[in-house]
Amino acid sequence: MRKSIVMKVLGAVMAMSLVFSAVVIADETEAGAEVSYEADVNGDGKIVVGYISKNFTDPFHAPINARAEEYFDQAVEDGIIDEWTGLLDGETDPNKQIDRAADCIAKECDIVIFLPAEAEASDPALVQMADAGILVIEVNSKSASCDEKSIAYVGSDDVQAGNMLAQWVVDNCPDGGKFIHCNGVLGNSAQIQRTEGMHEIMDEHPEFEMVGDFDTKWDGNLAADAASDAISKYGDELVAIICDNDGMSSAAQKMCNDSGREDIICIGVDGVEVPMQMVKDGSLKATILQDGVGQINGAIEIVEALVNGESFDPAPVIPFVLITADNVDDYM
Amino acid sequence: MASSPRTGKVTTQDRIRSLLGQYGIGIVLVIMMIVIAIMEPRFMTPGNIINVATQISINGLLCYGLCLCITTGGIDLTVGAQLALTSCIIGQTMTNMGWPAFLSILAGVGVATVFGFIDGVLIAKFNMFPFVVTLSMQLVIRGLSQVITGGRAVMLTNDWFTGIYSNKFLGIPMPIIIFIVVTIIMYLMLHWTKFGRYIFAVGGNVNAAIAAGVSRFWVIVGVYTISGVLAGLASMIYTSKTGSAQSNIGIGYETDAIAAAVLGGTSFAGGIATIPGCVLGIFIIGLIYNGMNMIGVSSYYQSIVKGLIIIGAVMLDMVMNRNKH
Repeated sequence: MRKSIVMKVLGAVMAMSLVFSAVVIADETEAGAEVSYEADVNGDGKIVVGYISKNFTDPFHAPINARAEEYFDQAVEDGIIDEWTGLLDGETDPNKQIDRAADCIAKECDIVIFLPAEAEASDPALVQMADAGILVIEVNSKSASCDEKSIAYVGSDDVQAGNMLAQWVVDNCPDGGKFIHCNGVLGNSAQIQRTEGMHEIMDEHPEFEMVGDFDTKWDGNLAADAASDAISKYGDELVAIICDNDGMSSAAQKMCNDSGREDIICIGVDGVEVPMQMVKDGSLKATILQDGVGQINGAIEIVEALVNGESFDPAPVIPFVLITADNVDDYM
Repeated sequence: MASSPRTGKVTTQDRIRSLLGQYGIGIVLVIMMIVIAIMEPRFMTPGNIINVATQISINGLLCYGLCLCITTGGIDLTVGAQLALTSCIIGQTMTNMGWPAFLSILAGVGVATVFGFIDGVLIAKFNMFPFVVTLSMQLVIRGLSQVITGGRAVMLTNDWFTGIYSNKFLGIPMPIIIFIVVTIIMYLMLHWTKFGRYIFAVGGNVNAAIAAGVSRFWVIVGVYTISGVLAGLASMIYTSKTGSAQSNIGIGYETDAIAAAVLGGTSFAGGIATIPGCVLGIFIIGLIYNGMNMIGVSSYYQSIVKGLIIIGAVMLDMVMNRNKH
């Protein structure tokens, strides 16, 4: 009994000291300046890296996961790190991500790359890893306490993406008109922020009227149905379809093209294979590329900096890129 | 059909009562159409009616498969994952391996059929619960679709294939024609063939069916295999519609298919179903989406309305088939 209490106290002291050491090693500099940490946080002489994906099914996340797997397999082989967890599937489920975080703690990871599924619901995964002393790098989207608990965030500004969606429509429909908006899963941080960004621009343009705000759940089939419903109802008055991702915008554009309405401007965010190919073919005028591989490469650079004891930028922003026929070849 | 207790003859009143029991949900459909048409006159334009009929084809095919499984007292939860797997096989073979479109479709639908067959064998041969078998199998199927594509989307550029959704025959969109053909086949099979009667027999009273010489094994295997074929065909339409094959599609699609089947009078107690009833259920689900979109109702309310209609239909089913329950 007494031995158990002593062990618990020792454990608590060790955990606190790990957190404390991470804090004091970090340079006391202002936000935006470079920071550094000791990579081997538990002092076992090994660097173990964890990777909690958002999911394995979304085409946007597939190349991110593939790049991480390729790099960390090679990094173990080259002796840059000692071990890694492999790709842990978050299944777009905060509950599963919290479980995977517990797995990373059990595996005594020093560094974890984490792609949160949800801002609030996935946050406990970050909190429990950070409280266990793990250096967490969030990628692609932020969980609620990202700024306090993670050592870095590599991502893009979804509000900016929303601005770009709307600006493209404004620029390409000079006379204004009716448009619809196809949402991602309601409540998802990317859906919220892209919608916010879209409204920032569109609300400034009274010549445009939003006549539908559909719960299309990132689903191309539902977006295509929303497009055909809107064409059926508004006919020539419909000028644009703004989508939170380009899986939806490409499906909506295909529906418009098949209905003889190639003039309708459809645009979305991500830059996955199909819409990029459609831009190249000319059947889709534009899409917004979210450079997912660029994001994971940013996180990999931070891992390398940690291993080498170097300082790094804790909040590199990977900008969105407007993809049109003029530059699509540069990104395919 | 119930008959007059005094004379033993089937009266007009009995016939009306029986029809209401089977197709009373049609009244809900008519009321919905009238309400939506009053609120949004453009709803009843020929263009929009064709639009709705085209949109419901995917859920329609899934619904027929579910209808058969539920009628035997089972359930098929794999249909959403089957959409993804067939889509990935079609995309991978057609775009990345250069197969002819017809062969790719055959491969995709064929694999879906095989998985339906496996579901049926596991349920019928080993007496495993359909819920457990199909719940587990959908994980296998979804996983397989991820393995095939590595989670990436595959673009479909074959004009013939992408035209399956958008092309017309005699002015009628192809998905509607596919839906009508499948509906006729399903109607004839379920209501006019020995196999159809066996389905009702197995679902109604399996012991009596076995005593009468019905092969429970082949009936169960048959309906799950048909469900696989229909899911494969639904996926063909879906993939043609979006022009993209990917492993994350079809999540939750079994919900709408089950809802349409139950709305159409398919009883979870087994042994009761009609194909015309399913058609009504399929249209109601389609109208919920289209009608609410046309009226401009918030998507949040669409979900609530859909849920309430399904609950109402299940209650209707219980009241109208009180004796069975």
